[in-house]
Amino acid sequence: MTRRRLRGLGRGGLCALVVAGALFPISFMLVQALKTPQEDVFGHPLIVRAPTLDNFRELFGEARQERGLVGRVLLRTYPVVRWLENTLLVFGASIVLTLGLSVMAGYGLGWLRPPGWRGWRRGLLATYAIPHTILFIPLYQVVIRLGLEDSLAALILTYPMLALPFCVWLLSAYWERLPRALEDAARVDGASRPAVFFRILLPLSTPVLVAAGVFTLGTVASDFMLASVFLTDPRVQTLPVGVGTMDVGLEELPAVAAINLLAIPLALLCGVFVRSYVRGLAAAMAEGA
Amino acid sequence: MVAAWLLLAPAAVMVAGVLAYPVAWEAWTSLTDLSPQRSGPARFVGLRNYVELATNPVYRFWPAAAATLAFVGLTGAVKLALGLGLALLLQRPFRGRALVLLAVFLPWVYPASVAVIGWYWTLNPPLVTSYSRLAADLKQAVDGAFGSGAWALASVGLFNVWRGAAFTGVFLLAGVQAVPADLFDYARLECPSPWRRFWFVTVPLLRPFLALAVFLSLTTGLADLANVWMLTGGRVVFPVLGTEAYWLGVQAGQLGPAAALSLTLVPPLALVLWALFRLVDPPEERPR
Amino acid sequence: MAQVVLKDLNKMYDDVHAVKDVNLNILDKEFVVLVGPSGCGKSTTLRMIAGLEEITSGEIQIGNRVVNDLPPKDRDIAMVFQNYALYPHMTVYDNMAFGLKMRKFPKAEIQKRVQDAAEILGIQELLKRKPRQLSGGQRQRVAVGRAIVRHPQVFLFDEPLSNLDAKLRVQMRVELKRLHNRLETTAIYVTHDQVEAMTLGDRVVVMKDGWIQQVGEPLEVYGRPRNRFVAGFIGSPAMNFIETTVADGAGALWVECAGLRLRVPAERSARLAGKRRQAVVLGIRPEDLHPATGADPVDLTCEAVVDVVEPLGSDILLDVKVGNCVIVVRVDPSVRLRQHDKIRLAFTPERIHFFDAKTEESLQ
Ligand SMILES: Nc1ncnc2c1ncn2[C@@H]1O[C@H](COP(=O)(O)OP(=O)(O)OP(=O)(O)O)[C@@H](O)[C@H]1O
Ligand SMILES: [Mg+2]
Repeated sequence: MTRRRLRGLGRGGLCALVVAGALFPISFMLVQALKTPQEDVFGHPLIVRAPTLDNFRELFGEARQERGLVGRVLLRTYPVVRWLENTLLVFGASIVLTLGLSVMAGYGLGWLRPPGWRGWRRGLLATYAIPHTILFIPLYQVVIRLGLEDSLAALILTYPMLALPFCVWLLSAYWERLPRALEDAARVDGASRPAVFFRILLPLSTPVLVAAGVFTLGTVASDFMLASVFLTDPRVQTLPVGVGTMDVGLEELPAVAAINLLAIPLALLCGVFVRSYVRGLAAAMAEGA
Repeated sequence: MVAAWLLLAPAAVMVAGVLAYPVAWEAWTSLTDLSPQRSGPARFVGLRNYVELATNPVYRFWPAAAATLAFVGLTGAVKLALGLGLALLLQRPFRGRALVLLAVFLPWVYPASVAVIGWYWTLNPPLVTSYSRLAADLKQAVDGAFGSGAWALASVGLFNVWRGAAFTGVFLLAGVQAVPADLFDYARLECPSPWRRFWFVTVPLLRPFLALAVFLSLTTGLADLANVWMLTGGRVVFPVLGTEAYWLGVQAGQLGPAAALSLTLVPPLALVLWALFRLVDPPEERPR
Repeated sequence: MAQVVLKDLNKMYDDVHAVKDVNLNILDKEFVVLVGPSGCGKSTTLRMIAGLEEITSGEIQIGNRVVNDLPPKDRDIAMVFQNYALYPHMTVYDNMAFGLKMRKFPKAEIQKRVQDAAEILGIQELLKRKPRQLSGGQRQRVAVGRAIVRHPQVFLFDEPLSNLDAKLRVQMRVELKRLHNRLETTAIYVTHDQVEAMTLGDRVVVMKDGWIQQVGEPLEVYGRPRNRFVAGFIGSPAMNFIETTVADGAGALWVECAGLRLRVPAERSARLAGKRRQAVVLGIRPEDLHPATGADPVDLTCEAVVDVVEPLGSDILLDVKVGNCVIVVRVDPSVRLRQHDKIRLAFTPERIHFFDAKTEESLQ
């Protein structure tokens, strides 16, 4: 009994440590966003005594005058609502595009398996080995040539490259392992190939699709570089780029508030799917990947 | 068959369409002396940029390569170790596991594009805040020990570990669950030492997942670095291959050497990739 | 000396009570089979004995030692899993040697034991292969092999044959029995196949919904099932059940339903006497019915109409209609009958079972 309890205690301690480590930066940033300027300077770094939503309100241009520290004239106003809209549009469109293309390619490679399908799959994954360091320079040339500078379309068209190879890998690995009899049985019953796909294969793959979707969102939401190169006009920027342009020296608190504004809902949205995510990855990789 | 190709085509076009020209440009540029600061067309210079990199200390190639290796190797190792630990911690059901899993997942899904801003400014506070003194002291200590820019690099590393360990942990947890539970049960029956169990059973069974996790964490490690230079306009001056390429290309306008510099990352990554395919996707069709 | 004792064993998953008050005394060298339908808690019981699953309450002793808090590796048991749990990254030899290596046995000893086991199971040629290069039957042997190299006090088997085809299953069944006769190690064997249970077990434990229904030697469980569930579960084809009512008449008790009226044999009357005008379930196995001859007393026979004829070769199964119910009869292959033929069936009196209609307990 004691031994088991000891093990339980050990695990509990570890879990507490893990949870603390994982959540500390998140909560730290949230705490800063809830502080008044006074507390930001003189308060405790980890605690907020008088939480306020002023920073968020200021972000939307409501609470300007309440801030006595810096003169009003110095402060820009930021089209935060636009930024949010742009961000959600870009993320949503990239996910839809990435999932759509990877479902097609994953089905083509993993289920139909044309000759050399492994090579194709590997080729796609191999693109991850291309370092993105200064790739944005020629990429920007292309964007200009296509007349897409300062257009969200530039991001929507480039973001799939970040997540698509892995999603194709995942989906094709899953479909590769599904028993062929699924299709045979349905076709004997008179279903056409597309019907088999939409009625049987796709519904069976929901967790894998969720996993691919969450992976895409996580990946797309981590790009700062491309967005900052492609979008220079504040009105078309996404929130990360916009926040990046904020003068942190003057407006640290609203910037932190803006970070929370995007990050917390997005993180929680993904958090809802964590179980499906794990299940989907596991399903796709069963039997030693 | 035709259908298969047609279905694959859009994805391939998407990826290749975005990458083909830039990669070709980068490869070509690395062989020229292209620079926006010089008028006249770029001249072909053969492998001179590469030779220069390797021999001319002005480019700080070797220190940068060493620092890159250290950065990627260190963060990679820590992410893998932490991730594996997390996966094993969450392997068996216990009360509250779902919540711990959620907490572990959050750092990765907390969008890095904004997290990196918050993180960076948190560790390098721009003006007086309640913890500025602490942060400044830390910065001074680290920079003093390892050279200027080390603290900034370390903070990027810390960020990458925070986020990458979360990804690796959840990914490996999926890996653990993809292995039939019997295999672990049998080890529990037969193997008295958890340590040997880990090395003889857990690691070999998870090998393909470990390989994939390592590869993905390498590439995201580099991507996180890229985000920070972009954010700080190159203020992270600790020489790493990526930052150097960025600095050379954008600040100094020497696009040729910059392209060559960033392409030096390709062979090692390709090597890792080759190893990955050997482990994850063995070439022969498995008997079913 | 390894008897295994389970005392008031219980297992609760969050909301599922999977194993309920299980009490069982397994003797040294005994081969005990846990059998029951899917989800009845057999595997859970076995895994608690192995230590893979925590015990909610109760006690487990192996060889007079309470093992409740002993980790699995210290219980001196060896287990064979349904999917064999062979390590794909190790050769057959390494798989078989694994448990010994982990316990730091000397190399020579390991080699000798693996060779011996391989010889017993006839897998010497396979030692260098990887599991994925083996057929199902071969994998199964390897899985057994790596259990026997350990010379454990107790063998635990969780449906080890259920992934084999029918023919191989019969063959391996015989081999397991032979192996047990030779090694004389206590064995606990889980299956949902009652034929395996009957053929392998020194004793059979029938489970349902986490409860033990009956424990006994195979023929005892077959011949004197304690309740309707056991009666229906053991034996193939299953026992026929007919809902009847008890009635008085002509100085004896009768059970009757539409199309059937049987005199209760005198030695059974005592238990049925209190059930006059109440419902009881009559049970009769297909092999305990036969076409009536002049020698059979008329009041133990009934009229039936043949519905389906299933010739098995060794005998014939007839699905026949008696009144409103359909029952199965096993008859000699020489009997020539076709659909819709009329036949008179005789019940073997001492093989008739009665069950309480409500509690389903046997009225023996
Ligand atoms: N980890 C678990 N969590 C919750 N319930 C479980 C768990 N494992 C088993 N159960 C439940 O406990 C009951 C007994 O399961 P068990 O695996 O012992 O059945 P079984 O008799 O071995 O069946 P089968 O013949 O299908 O293997 C079932 O109702 C099952 O759903
Ligand atoms: Mg079972």
